[in-house]
Amino acid sequence: MDSSSSNTDISLTDLSQNDKRELQQFVSNEAQKAKIQSTVHYLTDMCWKRCITSKISSGQMDSYERPCMENCVDRYIDSQMAVLKHLEQLRGQF
Amino acid sequence: MDSFTNTLGVNQQSKKQAWMDKIRQEAAVEQARALIDKVSDNCFEKCVPKPGSSLTSGETTCINQCMEKYMSAWNVVSRKYIERIQAKDI
Repeated sequence: MDSSSSNTDISLTDLSQNDKRELQQFVSNEAQKAKIQSTVHYLTDMCWKRCITSKISSGQMDSYERPCMENCVDRYIDSQMAVLKHLEQLRGQF
Repeated sequence: MDSFTNTLGVNQQSKKQAWMDKIRQEAAVEQARALIDKVSDNCFEKCVPKPGSSLTSGETTCINQCMEKYMSAWNVVSRKYIERIQAKDI
């Protein structure tokens, strides 16, 4: 190990083909995870604004708020699908 | 970071492992940063509608509870969203 190398320049070039392939797979899995998490951030933000409307009086969600958050996610996805479905129908018309 | 540098160059296996650890760590930092941003935005909005000359104890309590609530809301949304995308109907 060369003493001059730092943790900022780990080289990929001397990895075996197998390791490279495995790393590629790993990176693409991590990217997928990050994408899902970013959608969860977006949905939490949007649904929070719709469902958590009263004053904060505890660290728990109450019996209205929790189902509201769940419905919000479900209906958002339903809406997304409705848009795609309708777009599909409109395609032939214009 | 020390254990990270020490694993470099030992062998191929640990070099690959070092990359994975680094990527995992960066993803975790990014994830935490995004959560802190959202919590700050939403809890400031909720708890400090009229900013005074200092944060009152009531506002501080509100922010603490709001944080916990936001994180549990995040978990609820995460579970629900993953359930939906795994159901293959989207």
